[in-house]
Amino acid sequence: MGAVTGVLRSEFRKMFSTRLWWGLLIPVAVLSGLLNLFGGLFTGAFATLSAGDTPPLLLGSLAYSLSLTTVFAAVHGIVASAGEFRHRTVTTTYLTARSRGRVLLAKAAAGAVMGALFAGAAVSTGVLGGLAGSAAVPPVGALLSVTAVGLAVVALWGALGAALGVAIGNQVAALVVTLVYMLVVELLVSVLLTGADPAPFAQFAAYLPVNSGDVALYGIPADVLAGPVAGPAVVELLAGVSAPPPWWAALIVLAAWTAATAVVGWFVGARRDVT
Amino acid sequence: MDDRQDRSGRVVVDGLTKRFGAVAAVDGVSFSVEPGAVTGFLGPNGSGKTTTLRMILGLVAPTTGGCRINGVPFAALRDPARVVGAVLEAQGFHPARTARRHLLACAAAIGVPDAAVDVGLGAVGLVDVADRFVGGYSLGMKQRLALAVAMLGDPQVLILDEPANGLDPEGIAWLRAFLRAFARQGRSVLVSSHLLAEIEQTADHLVVITRGRCVYRGGLDQLRGSRRPRVLVACSAPARLAHALALAGMPEVDTLPDGRLGVAGGDAVRVGDTALAAGVAIYGLADERIDLEQLFFQLTSGRWGP
Repeated sequence: MGAVTGVLRSEFRKMFSTRLWWGLLIPVAVLSGLLNLFGGLFTGAFATLSAGDTPPLLLGSLAYSLSLTTVFAAVHGIVASAGEFRHRTVTTTYLTARSRGRVLLAKAAAGAVMGALFAGAAVSTGVLGGLAGSAAVPPVGALLSVTAVGLAVVALWGALGAALGVAIGNQVAALVVTLVYMLVVELLVSVLLTGADPAPFAQFAAYLPVNSGDVALYGIPADVLAGPVAGPAVVELLAGVSAPPPWWAALIVLAAWTAATAVVGWFVGARRDVT
Repeated sequence: MDDRQDRSGRVVVDGLTKRFGAVAAVDGVSFSVEPGAVTGFLGPNGSGKTTTLRMILGLVAPTTGGCRINGVPFAALRDPARVVGAVLEAQGFHPARTARRHLLACAAAIGVPDAAVDVGLGAVGLVDVADRFVGGYSLGMKQRLALAVAMLGDPQVLILDEPANGLDPEGIAWLRAFLRAFARQGRSVLVSSHLLAEIEQTADHLVVITRGRCVYRGGLDQLRGSRRPRVLVACSAPARLAHALALAGMPEVDTLPDGRLGVAGGDAVRVGDTALAAGVAIYGLADERIDLEQLFFQLTSGRWGP
Protein backbone atom coordinates (compact mmCIF):
# COMPACT_ATOMS: atom_id res chain seq x y z
CA MET A 1 0.00 0.00 0.00
CA GLY A 2 2.73 2.38 1.01
CA ALA A 3 4.70 1.56 -2.10
CA VAL A 4 1.73 2.37 -4.33
CA THR A 5 1.26 5.80 -2.78
CA GLY A 6 5.02 6.36 -2.93
CA VAL A 7 5.20 5.79 -6.68
CA LEU A 8 2.09 7.91 -7.16
CA ARG A 9 3.54 10.74 -5.08
CA SER A 10 6.70 10.47 -7.12
CA GLU A 11 4.71 10.82 -10.35
CA PHE A 12 2.91 13.90 -9.01
CA ARG A 13 6.21 15.44 -8.03
CA LYS A 14 7.60 14.80 -11.50
CA MET A 15 4.44 16.12 -13.13
CA PHE A 16 4.45 19.41 -11.23
CA SER A 17 8.20 20.00 -11.40
CA THR A 18 8.41 20.84 -15.11
CA ARG A 19 6.69 23.50 -17.18
CA LEU A 20 4.61 21.01 -19.12
CA TRP A 21 1.47 21.08 -17.00
CA TRP A 22 0.93 24.81 -16.93
CA GLY A 23 2.16 25.12 -20.49
CA LEU A 24 -0.88 23.06 -21.47
CA LEU A 25 -3.26 24.30 -18.76
CA ILE A 26 -3.04 27.93 -19.88
CA PRO A 27 -4.12 27.27 -23.51
CA VAL A 28 -6.90 25.01 -22.22
CA ALA A 29 -8.23 27.76 -19.97
CA VAL A 30 -7.89 30.51 -22.57
CA LEU A 31 -9.37 28.41 -25.37
CA SER A 32 -12.35 27.37 -23.27
CA GLY A 33 -12.98 30.93 -22.11
CA LEU A 34 -12.96 32.27 -25.68
CA LEU A 35 -15.03 29.42 -27.13
CA ASN A 36 -17.76 29.88 -24.58
CA LEU A 37 -17.59 33.65 -24.82
CA PHE A 38 -18.47 33.50 -28.49
CA GLY A 39 -20.96 30.73 -28.04
CA GLY A 40 -18.88 28.24 -29.93
CA LEU A 41 -20.01 26.44 -32.98
CA PHE A 42 -23.25 25.39 -31.36
CA THR A 43 -25.38 28.43 -31.48
CA GLY A 44 -26.53 27.71 -34.98
CA ALA A 45 -27.11 24.04 -34.40
CA PHE A 46 -29.26 24.60 -31.35
CA ALA A 47 -31.10 27.72 -32.38
CA THR A 48 -33.09 25.84 -34.97
CA LEU A 49 -33.84 22.89 -32.70
CA SER A 50 -34.94 24.66 -29.54
CA ALA A 51 -38.34 26.28 -29.11
CA GLY A 52 -37.75 28.13 -25.78
CA ASP A 53 -36.73 31.74 -25.39
CA THR A 54 -33.04 31.50 -24.53
CA PRO A 55 -31.89 27.91 -24.25
CA PRO A 56 -28.81 27.28 -22.04
CA LEU A 57 -26.51 26.91 -25.03
CA LEU A 58 -23.58 27.24 -22.65
CA LEU A 59 -23.93 23.54 -21.85
CA GLY A 60 -23.26 22.71 -25.48
CA SER A 61 -20.28 24.99 -25.88
CA LEU A 62 -18.85 23.73 -22.59
CA ALA A 63 -19.13 20.17 -23.88
CA TYR A 64 -17.34 21.26 -27.05
CA SER A 65 -14.49 22.89 -25.16
CA LEU A 66 -14.22 19.81 -22.94
CA SER A 67 -13.99 17.73 -26.11
CA LEU A 68 -11.04 19.85 -27.23
CA THR A 69 -9.52 19.59 -23.76
CA THR A 70 -9.23 15.82 -24.20
CA VAL A 71 -6.52 16.45 -26.81
CA PHE A 72 -4.48 18.49 -24.30
CA ALA A 73 -4.94 15.83 -21.63
CA ALA A 74 -3.78 13.13 -24.04
CA VAL A 75 -0.75 15.21 -25.04
CA HIS A 76 0.12 15.78 -21.39
CA GLY A 77 -0.14 12.07 -20.61
CA ILE A 78 2.03 11.14 -23.58
CA VAL A 79 4.76 13.66 -22.83
CA ALA A 80 4.76 12.79 -19.12
CA SER A 81 5.28 9.10 -19.99
CA ALA A 82 7.22 9.00 -23.24
CA GLY A 83 9.29 11.98 -22.07
CA GLU A 84 10.79 9.67 -19.45
CA PHE A 85 12.19 7.57 -22.26
CA ARG A 86 13.30 10.65 -24.16
CA HIS A 87 15.22 12.09 -21.20
CA ARG A 88 16.20 8.62 -19.97
CA THR A 89 14.76 9.37 -16.55
CA VAL A 90 12.84 6.11 -16.89
CA THR A 91 16.00 4.29 -15.74
CA THR A 92 15.79 5.90 -12.32
CA THR A 93 12.01 5.51 -12.29
CA TYR A 94 12.27 1.77 -12.84
CA LEU A 95 15.19 1.40 -10.42
CA THR A 96 13.24 3.04 -7.61
CA ALA A 97 9.87 1.34 -8.12
CA ARG A 98 8.83 -2.11 -7.05
CA SER A 99 7.64 -3.00 -10.54
CA ARG A 100 7.08 -1.50 -13.96
CA GLY A 101 3.38 -2.28 -13.62
CA ARG A 102 3.14 0.00 -10.61
CA VAL A 103 4.89 2.76 -12.50
CA LEU A 104 2.37 2.43 -15.34
CA LEU A 105 -0.57 2.55 -12.94
CA ALA A 106 0.86 5.57 -11.15
CA LYS A 107 1.44 7.34 -14.46
CA ALA A 108 -2.11 6.63 -15.61
CA ALA A 109 -3.52 7.82 -12.30
CA ALA A 110 -1.42 10.99 -12.34
CA GLY A 111 -2.39 11.60 -15.97
CA ALA A 112 -6.05 11.21 -15.01
CA VAL A 113 -5.73 13.72 -12.19
CA MET A 114 -4.08 16.22 -14.55
CA GLY A 115 -6.86 15.59 -17.06
CA ALA A 116 -9.45 16.33 -14.40
CA LEU A 117 -7.54 19.50 -13.52
CA PHE A 118 -7.61 20.55 -17.20
CA ALA A 119 -11.36 19.82 -17.34
CA GLY A 120 -11.93 21.83 -14.18
CA ALA A 121 -10.04 24.76 -15.68
CA ALA A 122 -11.96 24.45 -18.96
CA VAL A 123 -15.31 24.50 -17.14
CA SER A 124 -14.29 27.40 -14.88
CA THR A 125 -13.09 29.73 -17.61
CA GLY A 126 -15.82 28.39 -19.91
CA VAL A 127 -18.62 29.37 -17.50
CA LEU A 128 -17.00 32.73 -16.86
CA GLY A 129 -16.57 33.33 -20.59
CA GLY A 130 -20.13 32.22 -21.31
CA LEU A 131 -21.63 34.45 -18.66
CA ALA A 132 -19.50 37.35 -19.86
CA GLY A 133 -20.92 36.72 -23.30
CA SER A 134 -24.37 36.91 -21.68
CA ALA A 135 -25.32 33.32 -22.33
CA ALA A 136 -28.35 32.02 -20.44
CA VAL A 137 -27.46 30.53 -17.07
CA PRO A 138 -27.90 26.78 -17.38
CA PRO A 139 -29.72 24.77 -14.70
CA VAL A 140 -27.25 24.08 -11.90
CA GLY A 141 -27.98 20.33 -11.95
CA ALA A 142 -27.29 20.07 -15.67
CA LEU A 143 -24.15 22.19 -15.34
CA LEU A 144 -22.84 19.96 -12.57
CA SER A 145 -23.65 16.85 -14.61
CA VAL A 146 -21.82 18.17 -17.66
CA THR A 147 -18.89 19.10 -15.42
CA ALA A 148 -18.80 15.66 -13.82
CA VAL A 149 -18.93 13.84 -17.16
CA GLY A 150 -16.33 16.26 -18.53
CA LEU A 151 -13.97 15.57 -15.63
CA ALA A 152 -14.37 11.84 -16.22
CA VAL A 153 -13.88 11.99 -20.02
CA VAL A 154 -10.83 14.27 -19.89
CA ALA A 155 -9.36 12.28 -16.99
CA LEU A 156 -9.73 9.07 -19.02
CA TRP A 157 -7.92 10.71 -21.93
CA GLY A 158 -5.16 11.83 -19.57
CA ALA A 159 -4.74 8.23 -18.38
CA LEU A 160 -5.00 6.85 -21.91
CA GLY A 161 -2.29 9.23 -23.10
CA ALA A 162 -0.02 8.21 -20.21
CA ALA A 163 -0.49 4.51 -21.01
CA LEU A 164 0.05 5.18 -24.72
CA GLY A 165 3.28 7.02 -23.95
CA VAL A 166 4.57 3.95 -22.11
CA ALA A 167 3.38 1.63 -24.88
CA ILE A 168 5.01 3.59 -27.71
CA GLY A 169 8.00 4.93 -25.81
CA ASN A 170 9.16 7.30 -28.53
CA GLN A 171 7.72 10.69 -27.65
CA VAL A 172 7.61 12.18 -31.14
CA ALA A 173 6.07 9.03 -32.63
CA ALA A 174 3.51 8.81 -29.83
CA LEU A 175 2.50 12.45 -30.24
CA VAL A 176 2.25 12.28 -34.03
CA VAL A 177 0.31 9.02 -34.04
CA THR A 178 -2.10 10.21 -31.36
CA LEU A 179 -2.73 13.68 -32.76
CA VAL A 180 -3.19 12.42 -36.32
CA TYR A 181 -5.56 9.75 -35.05
CA MET A 182 -7.58 12.04 -32.78
CA LEU A 183 -7.85 14.90 -35.23
CA VAL A 184 -7.96 13.17 -38.62
CA VAL A 185 -8.08 9.40 -38.78
CA GLU A 186 -11.03 8.79 -36.51
CA LEU A 187 -12.98 11.49 -38.32
CA LEU A 188 -12.39 9.76 -41.66
CA VAL A 189 -13.19 6.33 -40.27
CA SER A 190 -16.39 7.71 -38.76
CA VAL A 191 -17.48 9.17 -42.09
CA LEU A 192 -16.81 5.84 -43.79
CA LEU A 193 -18.61 3.89 -41.09
CA THR A 194 -21.67 6.11 -40.77
CA GLY A 195 -22.08 6.08 -44.54
CA ALA A 196 -21.67 2.31 -44.57
CA ASP A 197 -24.13 -0.23 -45.77
CA PRO A 198 -25.31 -2.48 -44.11
CA ALA A 199 -26.44 -0.16 -41.35
CA PRO A 200 -25.09 -2.10 -38.32
CA PHE A 201 -21.59 -1.01 -39.29
CA ALA A 202 -22.69 2.60 -39.00
CA GLN A 203 -23.25 2.18 -35.27
CA PHE A 204 -19.62 1.24 -34.70
CA ALA A 205 -18.50 4.81 -35.19
CA ALA A 206 -19.95 5.78 -31.81
CA TYR A 207 -17.72 3.25 -30.09
CA LEU A 208 -14.40 4.60 -31.35
CA PRO A 209 -12.30 6.30 -28.62
CA VAL A 210 -12.70 9.97 -29.59
CA ASN A 211 -16.35 9.52 -30.54
CA SER A 212 -17.26 7.67 -27.37
CA GLY A 213 -15.86 10.56 -25.35
CA ASP A 214 -17.81 13.04 -27.46
CA VAL A 215 -21.02 11.01 -27.16
CA ALA A 216 -20.57 11.02 -23.38
CA LEU A 217 -19.89 14.77 -23.35
CA TYR A 218 -22.75 15.79 -25.66
CA GLY A 219 -25.38 13.38 -24.21
CA ILE A 220 -26.52 15.55 -21.30
CA PRO A 221 -26.40 18.93 -23.08
CA ALA A 222 -28.37 17.45 -25.98
CA ASP A 223 -30.97 16.05 -23.60
CA VAL A 224 -31.40 19.35 -21.80
CA LEU A 225 -31.44 21.47 -24.95
CA ALA A 226 -33.35 19.29 -27.40
CA GLY A 227 -35.28 16.96 -25.10
CA PRO A 228 -34.98 13.22 -24.72
CA VAL A 229 -36.57 12.51 -28.11
CA ALA A 230 -34.47 14.80 -30.30
CA GLY A 231 -31.38 14.52 -28.06
CA PRO A 232 -29.76 11.49 -29.70
CA ALA A 233 -30.15 13.13 -33.11
CA VAL A 234 -28.25 16.16 -31.81
CA VAL A 235 -25.52 13.91 -30.44
CA GLU A 236 -25.33 12.19 -33.84
CA LEU A 237 -24.87 15.56 -35.48
CA LEU A 238 -22.25 16.86 -33.04
CA ALA A 239 -20.21 13.70 -32.56
CA GLY A 240 -20.51 12.56 -36.17
CA VAL A 241 -21.89 9.16 -35.25
CA SER A 242 -25.04 7.21 -35.85
CA ALA A 243 -27.34 5.61 -33.25
CA PRO A 244 -25.17 6.67 -30.25
CA PRO A 245 -25.44 4.88 -26.91
CA PRO A 246 -26.47 6.86 -23.80
CA TRP A 247 -23.75 9.08 -22.27
CA TRP A 248 -22.99 6.69 -19.42
CA ALA A 249 -22.54 3.76 -21.78
CA ALA A 250 -20.23 5.87 -23.94
CA LEU A 251 -18.23 6.69 -20.82
CA ILE A 252 -17.84 2.98 -20.12
CA VAL A 253 -16.70 2.45 -23.71
CA LEU A 254 -14.01 5.12 -23.32
CA ALA A 255 -12.98 3.56 -20.01
CA ALA A 256 -12.65 0.23 -21.81
CA TRP A 257 -10.40 1.84 -24.47
CA THR A 258 -8.30 3.33 -21.69
CA ALA A 259 -8.05 -0.01 -19.93
CA ALA A 260 -7.12 -1.73 -23.20
CA THR A 261 -4.36 0.83 -23.80
CA ALA A 262 -3.12 0.31 -20.26
CA VAL A 263 -2.96 -3.45 -20.83
CA VAL A 264 -0.91 -2.91 -24.00
CA GLY A 265 1.35 -0.47 -22.12
CA TRP A 266 1.71 -3.03 -19.35
CA PHE A 267 2.80 -5.80 -21.70
CA VAL A 268 5.04 -3.71 -23.92
CA GLY A 269 6.51 -1.72 -21.03
CA ALA A 270 7.34 -4.82 -19.00
CA ARG A 271 9.29 -6.33 -21.88
CA ARG A 272 11.11 -3.27 -23.14
CA ASP A 273 14.87 -3.16 -22.68
CA VAL A 274 15.90 0.14 -21.16
CA THR A 275 19.33 0.74 -22.67
CA MET B 1 12.00 -5.98 2.85
CA ASP B 2 11.32 -9.21 1.12
CA ASP B 3 11.88 -12.20 3.32
CA ARG B 4 13.17 -14.16 0.34
CA GLN B 5 16.26 -11.94 0.30
CA ASP B 6 19.29 -13.24 2.11
CA ARG B 7 20.55 -9.66 2.76
CA SER B 8 24.11 -10.78 2.11
CA GLY B 9 24.88 -7.92 -0.24
CA ARG B 10 26.18 -10.39 -2.79
CA VAL B 11 25.59 -9.97 -6.49
CA VAL B 12 25.87 -13.16 -8.51
CA VAL B 13 26.01 -13.11 -12.28
CA ASP B 14 25.52 -16.53 -13.76
CA GLY B 15 26.03 -17.41 -17.41
CA LEU B 16 24.69 -14.08 -18.55
CA THR B 17 24.14 -13.79 -22.28
CA LYS B 18 22.49 -11.06 -24.33
CA ARG B 19 22.10 -11.39 -28.06
CA PHE B 20 21.05 -8.54 -30.30
CA GLY B 21 20.14 -10.46 -33.42
CA ALA B 22 23.17 -12.53 -34.36
CA VAL B 23 25.56 -10.48 -32.23
CA ALA B 24 26.22 -11.61 -28.68
CA ALA B 25 26.86 -8.37 -26.78
CA VAL B 26 27.38 -10.38 -23.61
CA ASP B 27 28.33 -14.02 -23.93
CA GLY B 28 28.18 -16.34 -20.92
CA VAL B 29 29.56 -13.94 -18.33
CA SER B 30 29.73 -15.20 -14.74
CA PHE B 31 31.15 -13.49 -11.69
CA SER B 32 30.19 -12.46 -8.22
CA VAL B 33 30.44 -9.23 -6.28
CA GLU B 34 31.24 -9.74 -2.62
CA PRO B 35 30.34 -7.48 0.29
CA GLY B 36 33.09 -5.52 1.97
CA ALA B 37 35.06 -5.09 -1.23
CA VAL B 38 35.20 -3.03 -4.37
CA THR B 39 34.90 -5.08 -7.53
CA GLY B 40 36.26 -3.41 -10.63
CA PHE B 41 34.52 -4.27 -13.87
CA LEU B 42 36.94 -3.61 -16.67
CA GLY B 43 36.69 -3.75 -20.39
CA PRO B 44 37.20 -1.60 -23.47
CA ASN B 45 34.33 0.51 -24.73
CA GLY B 46 31.71 -1.66 -26.38
CA SER B 47 32.80 -4.82 -24.57
CA GLY B 48 29.39 -5.37 -22.96
CA LYS B 49 29.95 -3.73 -19.56
CA THR B 50 26.93 -1.46 -19.70
CA THR B 51 24.65 -4.20 -21.01
CA THR B 52 25.81 -6.49 -18.21
CA LEU B 53 25.19 -3.85 -15.54
CA ARG B 54 21.75 -3.08 -16.98
CA MET B 55 20.89 -6.78 -16.92
CA ILE B 56 21.91 -6.98 -13.25
CA LEU B 57 19.55 -4.08 -12.61
CA GLY B 58 16.63 -5.63 -14.47
CA LEU B 59 16.61 -2.89 -17.11
CA VAL B 60 17.60 -5.24 -19.94
CA ALA B 61 16.30 -8.80 -20.13
CA PRO B 62 19.04 -11.42 -20.61
CA THR B 63 18.72 -13.86 -23.51
CA THR B 64 19.93 -16.61 -21.20
CA GLY B 65 21.43 -16.74 -17.76
CA GLY B 66 20.52 -14.58 -14.83
CA CYS B 67 21.62 -12.28 -12.03
CA ARG B 68 20.79 -12.37 -8.38
CA ILE B 69 21.12 -9.68 -5.78
CA ASN B 70 20.78 -10.92 -2.21
CA GLY B 71 19.75 -14.24 -3.73
CA VAL B 72 16.83 -12.91 -5.79
CA PRO B 73 16.49 -11.30 -9.22
CA PHE B 74 16.27 -7.50 -9.20
CA ALA B 75 12.58 -7.64 -10.13
CA ALA B 76 11.82 -9.60 -6.96
CA LEU B 77 13.28 -6.91 -4.68
CA ARG B 78 10.40 -5.23 -2.88
CA ASP B 79 12.23 -1.98 -2.24
CA PRO B 80 14.94 -2.12 -4.89
CA ALA B 81 16.48 1.29 -4.25
CA ARG B 82 17.03 0.38 -0.60
CA VAL B 83 19.09 -2.61 -1.72
CA VAL B 84 20.87 -1.38 -4.86
CA GLY B 85 21.92 2.11 -5.81
CA ALA B 86 23.03 2.65 -9.40
CA VAL B 87 24.94 5.34 -11.23
CA LEU B 88 24.60 4.48 -14.90
CA GLU B 89 26.32 5.98 -17.87
CA ALA B 90 24.29 8.73 -19.49
CA GLN B 91 21.73 8.55 -16.71
CA GLY B 92 18.86 10.79 -17.51
CA PHE B 93 17.61 13.95 -15.96
CA HIS B 94 14.88 16.21 -17.25
CA PRO B 95 16.79 19.29 -18.36
CA ALA B 96 14.13 21.66 -17.04
CA ARG B 97 13.75 20.08 -13.62
CA THR B 98 15.89 21.19 -10.69
CA ALA B 99 18.18 18.74 -8.92
CA ARG B 100 16.23 19.15 -5.69
CA ARG B 101 12.91 18.34 -7.35
CA HIS B 102 14.44 15.37 -9.16
CA LEU B 103 15.68 14.02 -5.83
CA LEU B 104 12.34 14.74 -4.16
CA ALA B 105 10.54 12.68 -6.81
CA CYS B 106 13.03 9.84 -6.25
CA ALA B 107 12.69 10.11 -2.47
CA ALA B 108 8.91 9.70 -2.77
CA ALA B 109 9.28 6.62 -4.95
CA ILE B 110 11.86 5.06 -2.63
CA GLY B 111 9.85 5.98 0.43
CA VAL B 112 12.51 7.95 2.31
CA PRO B 113 11.71 11.24 4.05
CA ASP B 114 12.31 14.49 2.16
CA ALA B 115 15.04 15.39 4.64
CA ALA B 116 17.21 12.72 2.99
CA VAL B 117 17.33 14.93 -0.10
CA ASP B 118 19.20 17.72 1.66
CA VAL B 119 21.56 15.22 3.23
CA GLY B 120 22.24 13.71 -0.19
CA LEU B 121 22.79 17.10 -1.82
CA GLY B 122 25.26 17.97 0.92
CA ALA B 123 27.11 14.69 0.56
CA VAL B 124 27.82 15.25 -3.12
CA GLY B 125 28.39 18.98 -2.81
CA LEU B 126 25.45 20.21 -4.88
CA VAL B 127 23.62 22.24 -2.21
CA ASP B 128 24.40 25.58 -3.80
CA VAL B 129 23.13 24.59 -7.24
CA ALA B 130 20.26 22.35 -6.09
CA ASP B 131 17.58 24.75 -7.30
CA ARG B 132 19.03 25.16 -10.77
CA PHE B 133 17.80 23.26 -13.79
CA VAL B 134 19.85 20.13 -14.38
CA GLY B 135 20.08 21.08 -18.07
CA GLY B 136 22.73 23.62 -17.08
CA TYR B 137 24.83 21.09 -15.18
CA SER B 138 28.25 19.88 -16.28
CA LEU B 139 28.79 16.17 -16.81
CA GLY B 140 30.61 16.01 -13.49
CA MET B 141 27.70 17.65 -11.66
CA LYS B 142 25.29 15.19 -13.27
CA GLN B 143 27.51 12.31 -12.09
CA ARG B 144 27.36 13.74 -8.57
CA LEU B 145 23.60 14.08 -8.78
CA ALA B 146 23.29 10.51 -10.05
CA LEU B 147 25.36 9.38 -7.07
CA ALA B 148 23.07 11.32 -4.73
CA VAL B 149 20.08 9.52 -6.27
CA ALA B 150 21.82 6.16 -5.90
CA MET B 151 22.60 6.82 -2.22
CA LEU B 152 19.13 8.10 -1.36
CA GLY B 153 17.83 4.70 -0.31
CA ASP B 154 20.95 3.96 1.80
CA PRO B 155 21.60 0.85 -0.31
CA GLN B 156 23.63 -2.23 0.48
CA VAL B 157 25.03 -2.53 -3.02
CA LEU B 158 26.36 0.23 -5.24
CA ILE B 159 26.69 -0.27 -8.99
CA LEU B 160 28.47 2.40 -11.00
CA ASP B 161 29.05 2.54 -14.75
CA GLU B 162 32.07 4.68 -15.69
CA PRO B 163 31.46 7.05 -12.77
CA ALA B 164 34.73 8.89 -13.34
CA ASN B 165 33.58 10.20 -16.72
CA GLY B 166 33.37 13.95 -16.52
CA LEU B 167 34.84 14.19 -13.05
CA ASP B 168 37.88 16.37 -12.48
CA PRO B 169 40.93 14.81 -10.77
CA GLU B 170 39.71 16.13 -7.44
CA GLY B 171 36.32 14.54 -8.02
CA ILE B 172 37.89 11.23 -8.98
CA ALA B 173 39.98 11.19 -5.80
CA TRP B 174 36.87 12.01 -3.78
CA LEU B 175 34.91 9.23 -5.49
CA ARG B 176 37.72 6.76 -4.86
CA ALA B 177 37.74 7.54 -1.14
CA PHE B 178 33.95 7.40 -1.07
CA LEU B 179 33.80 3.94 -2.63
CA ARG B 180 36.53 2.59 -0.35
CA ALA B 181 34.67 3.90 2.70
CA PHE B 182 31.41 2.46 1.42
CA ALA B 183 32.95 -0.99 0.99
CA ARG B 184 34.63 -0.79 4.40
CA GLN B 185 31.16 -0.64 5.93
CA GLY B 186 30.67 -4.19 4.69
CA ARG B 187 28.72 -3.15 1.62
CA SER B 188 29.34 -4.15 -1.99
CA VAL B 189 30.60 -2.01 -4.83
CA LEU B 190 30.70 -2.91 -8.51
CA VAL B 191 32.34 -0.18 -10.56
CA SER B 192 33.05 -0.31 -14.27
CA SER B 193 35.73 1.44 -16.24
CA HIS B 194 37.56 1.16 -19.51
CA LEU B 195 40.79 2.33 -17.87
CA LEU B 196 42.61 0.09 -15.43
CA ALA B 197 44.53 2.99 -13.93
CA GLU B 198 41.26 4.57 -12.95
CA ILE B 199 40.22 1.79 -10.59
CA GLU B 200 43.58 0.20 -9.87
CA GLN B 201 43.79 2.00 -6.55
CA THR B 202 40.16 1.35 -5.65
CA ALA B 203 39.35 -2.21 -6.63
CA ASP B 204 40.06 -5.30 -4.55
CA HIS B 205 38.77 -7.66 -7.19
CA LEU B 206 38.74 -7.42 -10.93
CA VAL B 207 36.41 -8.76 -13.56
CA VAL B 208 37.72 -8.14 -17.06
CA ILE B 209 35.53 -8.61 -20.10
CA THR B 210 36.21 -8.14 -23.75
CA ARG B 211 33.90 -8.72 -26.69
CA GLY B 212 31.22 -9.89 -24.27
CA ARG B 213 33.34 -12.59 -22.67
CA CYS B 214 34.91 -12.74 -19.25
CA VAL B 215 38.71 -13.01 -19.62
CA TYR B 216 39.86 -12.48 -16.06
CA ARG B 217 38.30 -12.85 -12.66
CA GLY B 218 40.24 -12.48 -9.46
CA GLY B 219 42.37 -10.26 -7.29
CA LEU B 220 44.50 -7.42 -8.54
CA ASP B 221 47.61 -8.96 -6.95
CA GLN B 222 46.92 -12.28 -8.64
CA LEU B 223 46.77 -10.46 -11.93
CA ARG B 224 50.12 -8.83 -11.24
CA GLY B 225 51.50 -12.25 -10.19
CA SER B 226 50.08 -13.98 -13.20
CA ARG B 227 53.17 -12.96 -15.11
CA ARG B 228 56.54 -14.09 -13.82
CA PRO B 229 59.09 -11.33 -13.51
CA ARG B 230 61.51 -11.24 -16.43
CA VAL B 231 64.87 -9.78 -17.19
CA LEU B 232 65.16 -8.05 -20.54
CA VAL B 233 68.52 -8.39 -22.28
CA ALA B 234 69.90 -6.67 -25.34
CA CYS B 235 73.02 -8.50 -26.48
CA SER B 236 75.35 -9.21 -29.40
CA ALA B 237 74.31 -12.86 -29.97
CA PRO B 238 70.82 -13.66 -28.75
CA ALA B 239 70.77 -17.28 -29.98
CA ARG B 240 74.06 -18.10 -28.28
CA LEU B 241 72.95 -16.43 -25.06
CA ALA B 242 69.61 -18.30 -25.07
CA HIS B 243 71.47 -21.56 -25.42
CA ALA B 244 73.84 -20.66 -22.57
CA LEU B 245 70.92 -19.58 -20.38
CA ALA B 246 69.16 -22.90 -20.97
CA LEU B 247 72.29 -24.74 -19.92
CA ALA B 248 72.49 -22.52 -16.82
CA GLY B 249 68.94 -23.52 -15.80
CA MET B 250 66.99 -20.63 -17.32
CA PRO B 251 65.19 -22.21 -20.25
CA GLU B 252 62.23 -19.79 -20.39
CA VAL B 253 63.52 -17.29 -22.87
CA ASP B 254 61.38 -15.30 -25.28
CA THR B 255 62.47 -13.06 -28.08
CA LEU B 256 60.81 -9.67 -27.88
CA PRO B 257 59.67 -7.78 -30.99
CA ASP B 258 62.59 -5.36 -30.56
CA GLY B 259 65.09 -8.24 -30.65
CA ARG B 260 65.75 -8.31 -26.93
CA LEU B 261 65.45 -11.50 -24.92
CA GLY B 262 62.93 -11.83 -22.11
CA VAL B 263 64.34 -14.21 -19.50
CA ALA B 264 62.09 -15.67 -16.81
CA GLY B 265 63.29 -17.53 -13.76
CA GLY B 266 66.48 -15.59 -13.25
CA ASP B 267 67.69 -12.19 -12.08
CA ALA B 268 70.00 -9.63 -13.69
CA VAL B 269 73.06 -10.93 -11.86
CA ARG B 270 72.66 -14.53 -13.05
CA VAL B 271 71.85 -13.45 -16.59
CA GLY B 272 74.86 -11.10 -16.66
CA ASP B 273 77.22 -13.74 -15.28
CA THR B 274 75.96 -16.32 -17.78
CA ALA B 275 76.46 -13.89 -20.66
CA LEU B 276 79.99 -13.07 -19.53
CA ALA B 277 80.84 -16.78 -19.25
CA ALA B 278 79.45 -17.37 -22.75
CA GLY B 279 81.38 -14.44 -24.15
CA VAL B 280 78.27 -12.53 -25.28
CA ALA B 281 78.45 -8.77 -25.08
CA ILE B 282 75.57 -7.17 -23.18
CA TYR B 283 74.29 -3.77 -24.34
CA GLY B 284 71.38 -3.50 -21.94
CA LEU B 285 70.02 -5.36 -18.96
CA ALA B 286 66.80 -4.45 -17.15
CA ASP B 287 64.14 -5.90 -14.92
CA GLU B 288 60.82 -5.89 -16.72
CA ARG B 289 58.26 -3.74 -14.97
CA ILE B 290 54.87 -5.42 -14.54
CA ASP B 291 52.73 -2.88 -16.24
CA LEU B 292 49.12 -3.55 -15.32
CA GLU B 293 47.86 -1.37 -18.09
CA GLN B 294 49.81 -3.46 -20.56
CA LEU B 295 48.48 -6.64 -18.95
CA PHE B 296 44.99 -5.27 -19.25
CA PHE B 297 45.63 -4.47 -22.87
CA GLN B 298 46.91 -7.98 -23.48
CA LEU B 299 43.87 -9.45 -21.72
CA THR B 300 41.39 -7.43 -23.67
CA SER B 301 43.07 -7.93 -26.99
CA GLY B 302 42.58 -11.65 -26.46
CA ARG B 303 46.23 -12.74 -26.45
CA TRP B 304 46.41 -13.47 -22.79
CA GLY B 305 43.79 -15.90 -21.50
CA PRO B 306 42.95 -16.58 -17.88
